[in-house]
Amino acid sequence: MRIGLRNLMLGFSVACALSTALHAQEGAQSADRASAAPKAEAAPAPVHDLTGVWMMRNPPGSQRAFTNYTFTKDPPEMTPWAEVKFKEAKASNGGQFTLKTTNDPVLTKCDPPGVPRVYFHPYPFEFVHTPKYTLMLYEYDHTVRRIYTDGRPIPTDPDLLWMGTSVGHWEGDTTLVVDTVGFNDKTWLDRLGHPHSDQLHVIERFRRVNRDHIELDITMEDPKALVKPWTTTFYYELRPKWELGEISCSGDYLDFSNFEK
Amino acid sequence: MGAKVPRAIIMFTVFLVVVSPTFAHHGKAAYDTKTIVTVKGTMTDFRFINPHVQLYFDVKNDKGEVEQWQAELTAPNKLTRAGWSKHTLTPGDSITASGYVSKNDPHTMWIDKLIGPDGEQLHLSEE
Repeated sequence: MRIGLRNLMLGFSVACALSTALHAQEGAQSADRASAAPKAEAAPAPVHDLTGVWMMRNPPGSQRAFTNYTFTKDPPEMTPWAEVKFKEAKASNGGQFTLKTTNDPVLTKCDPPGVPRVYFHPYPFEFVHTPKYTLMLYEYDHTVRRIYTDGRPIPTDPDLLWMGTSVGHWEGDTTLVVDTVGFNDKTWLDRLGHPHSDQLHVIERFRRVNRDHIELDITMEDPKALVKPWTTTFYYELRPKWELGEISCSGDYLDFSNFEK
Repeated sequence: MGAKVPRAIIMFTVFLVVVSPTFAHHGKAAYDTKTIVTVKGTMTDFRFINPHVQLYFDVKNDKGEVEQWQAELTAPNKLTRAGWSKHTLTPGDSITASGYVSKNDPHTMWIDKLIGPDGEQLHLSEE
């Protein structure tokens, strides 16, 4: 019994330490990258294939709790235009909000999330390849992106859409590079409310480092909003047994009055 | 006893790790997250709906009075991947719920641990 109690207390300490580590918002990104190195026994990535359901999974001990709501520990350098818009934003970060205290357009109006704001929903996404395009299906609100891989160039005068217009190509056997332009300026970049303009250009590099893991390098360029590109790396893990379900942002989604008295 | 302790540690660890992402749609600001409250109740309604699954149950207090409680879990998709269905709970089921109580309503809870009618702890995480 005494040993059991000691084990329990030890476990409690370990759990607390683990929690503190995971919830801390500190940690150099270079260290994150090093800790994310694939294990030697991991199966190799297939060629030109990201098929499957993927879930965000930060490398253990990487101290990246900020990835619940923003891209980097430090904020981006914004233009004066963006600073004004950012001050109007009431964040929906980290769960410390109610629907009355945030003005996140996704949560309060069911606006489509945009890219890369879409990665801040704690739900999986799925890749489906076809000969001419790749579909990204996000569980959250049936969000679909169609990434053309038929060799067409990125449009120079795109219509302005919630999720933009995307073209993609493979670099090597296992990296899909996706360029997206043509966003309206109604969405946020993250859950803190960092703004973007219709000049936003997002580059996503999906590097399938082994069968079970994707490292996603995201670069946001927006000369009207960002002084310099904002970059990060997000981490995803394959979930072979999962299937996407329905999460529709409608009706009950906007009403938590009974639970937010 | 020796076999049960590690399981308790694992469950507690899982709770700590996943607690932030589970507050996905609306936040936890409405709840007192510093205190865990545990109540036994009898289910009156179970709504397996987006964005958060809702439980409604009666709790008999120390005075013998019946209190009507409501509680929420995470998204139904996440619970489906944890083995749940819309039939997991039905009216009349006895449950024991532990979680955070609303700052403004003592009978509203965010559940982080749930014992089902057969006495087994129900998984609340898809991972």
